[in-house]
Amino acid sequence: MALEFRAQQSANRRKTWLLLGLMFIALIAVIWAVGTIFHFGGLWLFPMAVGISLIGVWVSYWNSDTLVLTMTGARLIGHDDAPQLYNLVEEVALAAGIPMPRVAIVDDPAPNAFATGRDPDHAVIAFTSGILQVMDREQLQGVAAHELAHVANRDTLVMAVAATTAGLLAIVADMGLRATLFSRRGSDNNPVAQILALVAIVLAPLAALLLRAAISRKRESLADATAVQFTRNPTGLRRALETLAADTTVVRHTSNAVAHVWIESPLDGKNKSMFDTHPPLSQRINLLRAMEGLPPSPS
Amino acid sequence: MWFWIIVAIVIIAVIAYLAATYNRLVKANVAIDEGYSQIEVQLKRRADLIPNLVSTVKGYAAHESGTLEKVTAAREASQSASGLQQVSAADGALTQALRGLLAVAEAYPDLKASANFLSLQEELSSTENKIAFARQYYNDSVRSLNTAIVTIPSKFFVGIAGVHAREFYVVPDAADRNAPTVQF
Repeated sequence: MALEFRAQQSANRRKTWLLLGLMFIALIAVIWAVGTIFHFGGLWLFPMAVGISLIGVWVSYWNSDTLVLTMTGARLIGHDDAPQLYNLVEEVALAAGIPMPRVAIVDDPAPNAFATGRDPDHAVIAFTSGILQVMDREQLQGVAAHELAHVANRDTLVMAVAATTAGLLAIVADMGLRATLFSRRGSDNNPVAQILALVAIVLAPLAALLLRAAISRKRESLADATAVQFTRNPTGLRRALETLAADTTVVRHTSNAVAHVWIESPLDGKNKSMFDTHPPLSQRINLLRAMEGLPPSPS
Repeated sequence: MWFWIIVAIVIIAVIAYLAATYNRLVKANVAIDEGYSQIEVQLKRRADLIPNLVSTVKGYAAHESGTLEKVTAAREASQSASGLQQVSAADGALTQALRGLLAVAEAYPDLKASANFLSLQEELSSTENKIAFARQYYNDSVRSLNTAIVTIPSKFFVGIAGVHAREFYVVPDAADRNAPTVQF
């Protein structure tokens, strides 16, 4: 295993920042495009865009713990409700050097887990009742380590920024598109710039969605590597992912807003797609197997 | 005009960089102290669990008094230990004694089936894990500080930050290091 997880961590961090940078460039391009089509665009659009973005980031990020807990119907538990679960989360929190998060259980037969909260002091880690039934202590410890890795890596913040930028792009592009279709204001402009602007407006929201999904996948890989840093035991998480791969049930409280927080995405389809929020389980399993010094899984 | 703005930006950037380097040393030093206090908290927790465990085992396996006395003696030794080396030595000895006790418990099915023993076993093995993880966090923190102290540029700030190389928390017993996956 050596220090392979550290190399993976830094590669994933670099790619995250690159992708966030690309999204920001896409945002600027759309604002420019909208500004080209209406002559007056640039000046008022940008502050408004930033304003919407800040509100979006603030609401979803600051209240992420209460929001997600309500949306998934999770209930908080203490040590005596589930001693083993509480203990193993406490163990991983010590390994991570972060404060003990609140622990919650979602009554749902599908095995899954998530973590959220604006910073390590407000973190919540939740497990479905299904995952507690199908996994042993070592597997659950791997899952807890993956979730607390999200907390330690501040992924709620990263994904809030990514989601807001993507949403904002869609809003601005939509405004631009409507204006282009229903107004002739810009007809005296340079036609090449007009066409370029139109293309940018149509493609940008799609690009933003793809980038957002790509960032999410990088954060998942990073969390797997960080989980191994915490427990120094790739086997637990690998066995947990294998159990998830073998399972076909899907959590009931599925919605776009919270899909990315689960350890196994409830929305990603069977086939690999550029819109997936998580890397394929088989790929994650094989990366962990490589850390254990095992050959790739045959299936 | 532009020239001075650029000079100002460069000066601010350099100051920010130096401050960040200094802060990293100080933070690494604080993380080590926090890591050590976590080890102490968990060692104390384990010591608090032991009397309960000893009395539970006594109820089912009274004639294993030799093993029980070893645990009690190791617990007392660990409580009077002070300083990193003594504490880690006592920690290793107590872990060994506890392993002996839990191995003995294997021979008593009634004991193994009792709810009290099962919950103590979970608390004890979790505390052992917590001690191991706290130790790992502490040693990782020591490693990053000790590396920063000998590498450039943080090397030049060692004096101002008032930090010095710290000691690793070494588990003295070789058997303990070789058997990290023992299930209690």
